[in-house]
Amino acid sequence: MSTEPFKNVYLLPQTNQLLGLYTIIRDKNTTRPDFIFYSDRIIRLLVEEGLNHLPVTPKTVATHTGEDFTGVSFVGRICGVSIVRAGESMEQGLRDCCRSVRIGKILIQRDEETALPKLFYEKLPEDISDRYVFLLDPMLATGGSAIMATDVLIKRGVKPERIYFLNLICSKEGIDRYHAAHPDVKIVTGVLDKGLNEQKYLVPGLGDFGDRYYCI
Amino acid sequence: MCIRNETIENSGDNMTVEDTSGNTRVPRYQPPWNTPYIIGIGGTSGSGKTSVASQIVTAINVPWTVLLSLDNFYKPLTPEEGKAAFENKYDFDNPRAIDMDLAYHCLRSLKEGKCFEVPVYSFVNHNRVPGKSIRIYGASVIILEGIYALQDVRILDLMNLKIYVDADLDVCLARRLSRDIVERGRDLDGCLSQWERFVKPNAVKYVRPTMRNADVVVPSMSDNRVAVEYLVSHIRSKLRAKSYEHVKELNLLEGTDLTPLDENPRVHKMHKTPQVLALITMLLDKTVCREDFIFYFDRLSTILLSKVLENIPLEGHTEIVTASNNAMANSAMINFDKVAAVDLIRSGDCFIHSLRKTLPNVPIGKLLIQSDSYTGEPQLHCEFLPRGINKFKKVMLLETQIISGASMVMAIQVLLDHGVSVSCIDVVVFTATEQGLRRILNAFDGKVNVYVAILVTTEQLHNGNKEWCLSRFVERLYFGCP
Repeated sequence: MSTEPFKNVYLLPQTNQLLGLYTIIRDKNTTRPDFIFYSDRIIRLLVEEGLNHLPVTPKTVATHTGEDFTGVSFVGRICGVSIVRAGESMEQGLRDCCRSVRIGKILIQRDEETALPKLFYEKLPEDISDRYVFLLDPMLATGGSAIMATDVLIKRGVKPERIYFLNLICSKEGIDRYHAAHPDVKIVTGVLDKGLNEQKYLVPGLGDFGDRYYCI
Repeated sequence: MCIRNETIENSGDNMTVEDTSGNTRVPRYQPPWNTPYIIGIGGTSGSGKTSVASQIVTAINVPWTVLLSLDNFYKPLTPEEGKAAFENKYDFDNPRAIDMDLAYHCLRSLKEGKCFEVPVYSFVNHNRVPGKSIRIYGASVIILEGIYALQDVRILDLMNLKIYVDADLDVCLARRLSRDIVERGRDLDGCLSQWERFVKPNAVKYVRPTMRNADVVVPSMSDNRVAVEYLVSHIRSKLRAKSYEHVKELNLLEGTDLTPLDENPRVHKMHKTPQVLALITMLLDKTVCREDFIFYFDRLSTILLSKVLENIPLEGHTEIVTASNNAMANSAMINFDKVAAVDLIRSGDCFIHSLRKTLPNVPIGKLLIQSDSYTGEPQLHCEFLPRGINKFKKVMLLETQIISGASMVMAIQVLLDHGVSVSCIDVVVFTATEQGLRRILNAFDGKVNVYVAILVTTEQLHNGNKEWCLSRFVERLYFGCP
């Protein structure tokens, strides 16, 4: 079971398996196929954890032997929103659990003139305000683009408490900055890194996730 | 024909074992191949032993009936002996030509449930075929056939039924000639001289006296139909008794300990998170379509397999440099290559899709164990196991539903017989009854780990409305055939 080390932060259980998976994806000598495969394994765990927080309602079904079984069923609809490009790596993990899930995209890049993040592109489901949203971005370092992406979602009518921000790696500093802007959004993560260096990169980190997943 | 003082060993007499403190405890599991029914068939060369043996094999129709020929145990010849053999001057019909020690060792191993490599003998080269052997494991009936099958006292002691096939020596000669010339590529003169010099004298001197060791003497081929039918019905009744003992013993494994399984540290129940419960609800719903069933089962089994792997033993810790160029001391190391899986055909096959997604390289063994429709006894039909399975640190044993637990108990025994340590075995199952799980735990000193999604207690079953766990609906829906 996950833990909640800080309010609205859900950390995957730190099992032998998870610790070992992180060792593999952090290691700079890991090849790209292995990086992709083992990142995908972690992403699957994050998605399952996120889905666990969605509301359910009691439901009774008739079984094959004609007896009743009382379990639960999902209520509410979801969608995924990935922050281009690295966040797109997490879409398949979501699709593997929810076959026909709608996926919106947001592109945010650093403006060369102002050095601030700037929204370049957004494509979101029209009824997104009725949905639970899984915001996908593998790394939470300073939280700049995630904050801006969440702004976009809220501007489209999504309730903050219905947003789940899934990332593979984050730091306390990033969490604090993000929650200062959006305290009600729930963060689902797999590891808390020590902090950020002067260049605002995570330490010890795992390099540039998008580059390692797509290019290098 | 008469049948006398035949013995059948079963564990019925020692159901409970006294330990040193004088307390009785639940017995360990004895698979049927630890008490194989061993039949010896002796008789002179060409008397029709093979024919009687194959009639018995066909008629009893038990999986893992092994027909062993003493011919496989001919001693390898020295160069001089080999030269003599090619000149038809070597006495193959003397008891000394056969490696009785090896034959005894073989039967002993099989009787202990161990696997044995039987050498292959070439009649053309008069030697064992190098690097070639027949692996025998898990036999519940063994038939040892050969002219001296009833000679060695040690071997006789292991046999449950000893049959001597009797034929007139002239008839034997005629059969021998046609066989040796057509099947074994010899020439007529050589065969005749061999008969006169070796076969006939040895038959008279050594083989015929073994008739007195036999429980039954069967006349040769032409008119032995009634005799063989009689024998077969006798063997059948003995095998049935053995099956019932096996089933009875399996039932006894349930034990009398009533400590709730929830308190057993070896039983890992899947957390009923909202997701897991919602998935289970959809899987149990009889209106679910197959496409959805397969999808949701794959999802659930992925969660279950990941839970099993949470406890993967660490390979230690190491220092790595991350892709951000920071050193990280004490990083936990795991190696998924040390994990193997074995599935029980067909129900365990439902896990394979998720297993491949989780561990793409995992070696997968397969076991086919089916229950006899008459006695309910589980029977091992075949086993394909990854090489060196005893070297893996974790062996997952996959089955979707445990009901009586009998086939899983047998599957675990197969792994133990192949050198897998009991603490490395993880049973992975979707639904299980308390009764089945208790048998599995008790059979192996409570050392096997079990990972289960839905555990139905005996009390819940008695209270009704959990009968679905007794029907094999998972594999039926997953594969879409009954």
